[in-house]
Amino acid sequence: MSIDEPSLARLMVASQRGDRAAYRALLNDSRQWLARYFARRIAPHHIDDLVQETLVSMHRKLATWDDGRPFLPWLAAIARYRWIDMLRRQRDEVELGEGDAAVGAEDEVVHARLSLDRMLLLLPTGQAQAITLVKIEGASIAEASQICGQSESLVKVNIHRGLKKLAQLIESE
Amino acid sequence: MTNGSIDNLIEDLAGELKPVRPRRLMRGSLWVAGGWLVGAAALLWLAGPRHDLADGAMMPPLPLLAFWLIVALGFAAAWSALRMGLPGVGRDYSGWRWAGLAALALPFSAVVMALSDSHAAMDAAHPENGMHCLAQGVFAGLGVGAALFAWLKGGAPTSPTRAGWVIGIAAGAAGATIVALHCASNDMIHLALWHGLAVALSGVIGRALLAPLLRW
Repeated sequence: MSIDEPSLARLMVASQRGDRAAYRALLNDSRQWLARYFARRIAPHHIDDLVQETLVSMHRKLATWDDGRPFLPWLAAIARYRWIDMLRRQRDEVELGEGDAAVGAEDEVVHARLSLDRMLLLLPTGQAQAITLVKIEGASIAEASQICGQSESLVKVNIHRGLKKLAQLIESE
Repeated sequence: MTNGSIDNLIEDLAGELKPVRPRRLMRGSLWVAGGWLVGAAALLWLAGPRHDLADGAMMPPLPLLAFWLIVALGFAAAWSALRMGLPGVGRDYSGWRWAGLAALALPFSAVVMALSDSHAAMDAAHPENGMHCLAQGVFAGLGVGAALFAWLKGGAPTSPTRAGWVIGIAAGAAGATIVALHCASNDMIHLALWHGLAVALSGVIGRALLAPLLRW
C-alpha cells in the first residue's frame, strides 16, 4: 500500500465528514507513516507508545486540518509535538530520580543511536554523553556516573538540561 | 504496547468518529474582531473617548504613526496566533516578529527625545501620568486575548510557549490601540513608555499564564 499525499488528504476530508471506513484506513496509513517517522528519532522501545499517543492526538485535533493544505505536514507537526512532549516527560523523570528501562536488542540500540547522533552533536559533550548512556544504552545513573566520570547528580543535571535543549532544538526546527 | 493494542485503538477511534467542522482562519479572525470591539466598548463606556477626536480633530502625525505601528503589530501577532492553531511542519509563524521590530521605532524615538528634553521625559515617566494607561491597555486587550486563547485552546499550537507570548502581545497591542482612542496624550515618550509597556506586560502575562494552559 502506498501512502501518498493526495490519497491521505482525500481520506482526511471524508473522515472530517464522519466516514468511519475512510477514517480507519487513514489511521492505518498514518500509523505506518508515524512508525517510520519515529524510527529515525527515538529509541525503538518508545515507538509504539508514541504512535498511539499521536493517533489519539490526531483524533482529538481532527478539526485543525484545513483541506486547503497538505495532510502530511499537519500529521508531522502533531507527531513532532508528541515527540517533544515525550522528551519533556523523560526530563521530568530525571528530575524525580527515576531510572529509565534498558533498551532491547543490540541492533535496535545501534539504530536508535544512528537516529539521534545528528541531534546529540548539537549538545555539549557532557550532556550528550549522559543522555547516550542512560536514555539510549539503558545504563543506570550510577553506572553512567562511573563510565563518564561525572558525579551522579551531574549526570542527572546533564540529562535534564540536554533533554530540555533537545526539545527546544526540535521545536525550533 | 503491541501491534494488537494499536489495532484496537484504531478500531476504538474509528468507532468514536463524529463529523467535525474544520476550523477556518476567517472564523478565528471574526472572534478576534469581536474581542477588540468588546474591549473597545468596555473601555470607552467606562472611561470615554478622547475629547479631541470626539470634537472632530485629527491626531498629530507622530502619535498617528505610533498608533498605526501598534495596529500593525496587533494584526501581525493576532494573525500569527490564529495560524498557530492550525499546525503544519514548515509553516512560518514569525510575521509578528517583523512588526515587533518595526514597533521598536517607538521606544527608540522616545529615548532620543528624552535625551533632548530630560525634564519632560521625567515628567512623562512618572507613574501618576501613565500607570492608568498601562492598566487600561492591559484591561482593554482582554477581549482579544480571550478570543485568541479560546481559538488556540481548541486548536493545536505546537509551541505553547511561543503561542502564550504571541497571544499576550496581540492582546496588549489591541489594548494599546483602544487606549489611544481614550488617552488624549500626544507625547511620544508617554505613548512609547506607557502604551508600549501595556504590550510588553501583556506579552509577559501571556507567556506566564497562558502557555501552561495551552499544552495538549
